[in-house]
Amino acid sequence: MMAGKEDRKRDRDALMSRIVQAGFLAGLILIWYLASTRWGVNRLLLPDPVAVYDNLIDILRSGEFIDDLEITLGELAAAFAISVTSGVTLGYLISRSPYAIEVFEPLFAAIYAIPIILFLPLFVLFFGLGPASKIALGASISFFPVVINTIAGFGHVDRLFVTAARSMGASDYHLFRHVLLPAALPVILTGLRMGFTTALLSIIGSETLASLAGLGHRIVHLAEAMDMARMFAYIVFVIAIAVILNTIVSTLEARGKRN
Amino acid sequence: MATAEAAIKVCGVSHQFGDEGEQRFVRALADTSLDIARGELLCLIGPSGCGKSTLLNVIGGLMTPSSGGVDVLGKPVRGPLPRDIAFVFQESALFPWNTIIENIGLGMTFQGVAKPGRAARAASALEAVGLKDFAQHYPAQLSGGMRQRAALARALSLETPILLMDEPFGALDEQTRMILGEDLSVLLARSHKTIVFVTHSLGEAVFLADRVAVFSARPGTIKQVIAVDEPHPRKPEFVTSAKFTTLRNQLYGLLHDEIRKAVQQTGLADATVQTGPT
Amino acid sequence: MARAVPFRHFLARRAWLARLIVIAALFALWEVAARWFVDPLFLSPPSRVIAALDTVFSTRGVPAALQLTLFELTVAFVLAVAIGLMLGLAVGLQPFVRRSFFPIVLLLYGMPQVTILPLFILFFGIGAASKIAFGVTHGVFPIVVTVVAGVQNLKPILLVSARSMGASRWQIFRHVIFPHMVPSFFAGMRLGMSGVLLGVLLAELYVSIAGIGYFTTLFTQNFDPTKLLGLVGVLAAMAIVLNAVVRRAETHFARWRTG
Repeated sequence: MMAGKEDRKRDRDALMSRIVQAGFLAGLILIWYLASTRWGVNRLLLPDPVAVYDNLIDILRSGEFIDDLEITLGELAAAFAISVTSGVTLGYLISRSPYAIEVFEPLFAAIYAIPIILFLPLFVLFFGLGPASKIALGASISFFPVVINTIAGFGHVDRLFVTAARSMGASDYHLFRHVLLPAALPVILTGLRMGFTTALLSIIGSETLASLAGLGHRIVHLAEAMDMARMFAYIVFVIAIAVILNTIVSTLEARGKRN
Repeated sequence: MATAEAAIKVCGVSHQFGDEGEQRFVRALADTSLDIARGELLCLIGPSGCGKSTLLNVIGGLMTPSSGGVDVLGKPVRGPLPRDIAFVFQESALFPWNTIIENIGLGMTFQGVAKPGRAARAASALEAVGLKDFAQHYPAQLSGGMRQRAALARALSLETPILLMDEPFGALDEQTRMILGEDLSVLLARSHKTIVFVTHSLGEAVFLADRVAVFSARPGTIKQVIAVDEPHPRKPEFVTSAKFTTLRNQLYGLLHDEIRKAVQQTGLADATVQTGPT
Repeated sequence: MARAVPFRHFLARRAWLARLIVIAALFALWEVAARWFVDPLFLSPPSRVIAALDTVFSTRGVPAALQLTLFELTVAFVLAVAIGLMLGLAVGLQPFVRRSFFPIVLLLYGMPQVTILPLFILFFGIGAASKIAFGVTHGVFPIVVTVVAGVQNLKPILLVSARSMGASRWQIFRHVIFPHMVPSFFAGMRLGMSGVLLGVLLAELYVSIAGIGYFTTLFTQNFDPTKLLGLVGVLAAMAIVLNAVVRRAETHFARWRTG
């Protein structure tokens, strides 16, 4: 099939978009470079990109990041584990009764609308500045998207499927494993992905606000020491880690949905 | 055939989508010509994909044909003619965020009708389609049939000499279609508009039209034009008459092979013309 | 026909009542736990918190801090809405601009902004400006995204219909595109409010010399859970009210969606 005029125009448009995007990002970096080196923006506010890059390489090469990364990832894993087990279990139990859904779902939605980070001082008061307060906060925040989506997933399984399965003699267990679970899975997976993302954000956030260790704390520490280049390097590093983790989780979600 | 100047003259219109050699190349219309007299209701009927809607869009100035042209009321068509042509589409093109009366008002805003005259026009249009009590409703609150009545009211309020209707009842159930068809016939008998009406339904075409233009499968061209010699407004009894059945059978005979051809072209499971009653 | 209606049936039709009962039960649990099981240094029962609310308000500087927070929230929200609407329209209306820049918007939306919180403080200082700025950057993205979506998913037939009736380009924008986009815009404002709340509160909790962050730190360091819970409670109430207001506005303007 030869590419016709219309197809070629579409490809050209797509290419133009990519060029504009790349140009925009390149332009930003160029402005950054010029601002910090030529245009006299205070180095204490904006380090020059080359120094940032050097620091980044140094951090990676020396493995300095490992301790902080371990702590952050450990908190994340614990928080996520707690929120998933409690969220999915509670969500399933609530979904079994339409009345329970009607009572609890708006309650959860309303609480989730408040920035729960507000309760961090309470957690710090209770658990101290160590990992426990971060895990508690992360679990509290990421609990909600998990439970809300689990309720939605199990609660909105088309009654038609349930009726059809029951008419063919399905037991409770069969119903759960072969009808409810597969039907609810896509929505639940979305809830898990959202829970993971919010847990990550909450943990980094709470480390920034009140912690003695971890990646969030490291950035604050460097800010206080005014080591701008290294701080920027860590910011880049943390963003990269977040992007990688989120991509993995999104891919898992898509993979799971496909099956 | 009216002796007066034809309201719409279609001259050698052909249209294709895409270029030759492209995957999406399709020759929709091939050298179609047709004269539509003032005050007549002409139905375009044919298998799916034969270009009827394309022709309607070309007549209405929404599409420029690859070759050939259309004259409307003596002027060549180069774009939409809101003063001369009003459309009724199959899909509800009512703006969902406005009430029915606001929708009608908006149509007149677009056309450029002066504010003082609008209320009267809107009221009479709604009265004509039987929706007087639903002026303040939103489209989502109405049934499909009522929405199409509202769409018709909007088109009527624009007071254009020509009405182009693209399968306006296509999305509705059999019974609603029957009622709307009868009401439409009564309405149009009073208004003397020139109407081009695209449909899939044989019965609908025979019931409503003065003439029926039968299209061939893609690339579409007019195979034959059949006249329905029956005074307006058409009575419900017309449907059970022998004349109706003869005409319907004639259409069926002309269309059946074209439909089969169309199905083979596209591999669609049901590119059919409705052959049920009315 | 006087027959006592079983309480269960009475409750079944009043889900809101069941919700209140659940909330009351949670408060009761909190009361019991705080009174008899947990060290009063770490947790205070709700009875004491509510009784002590007036001392919270009479603590010097607290009312001013609350006012300041409300001010920051309002300014940040207004700015986020204005910028978000303009950017959203700019990106959404032109297909080429959308294809080029929308991916960049999405990229920034997904970024863990909390990592650059220390940077905002360094750039904008420790006063209200940095809190407002951080609130705006959190609130603007959902608004841009929803405005773009609202402009995008307009049914093409509506544009065709308007054109056939002789609408000019400006008329199409004012009477077709804009009203269609309004419900999405309000949904975006709801998310934007959540974002602004999060951003402003995060910045306040990070560093604050006269804002609520100062007092949460003070009460935490003084091991005063009563006052801390009181303050956090007031802030949570503020967040709930603000969210409810925006949600009300959303329902009002999206009336036509549900008919």
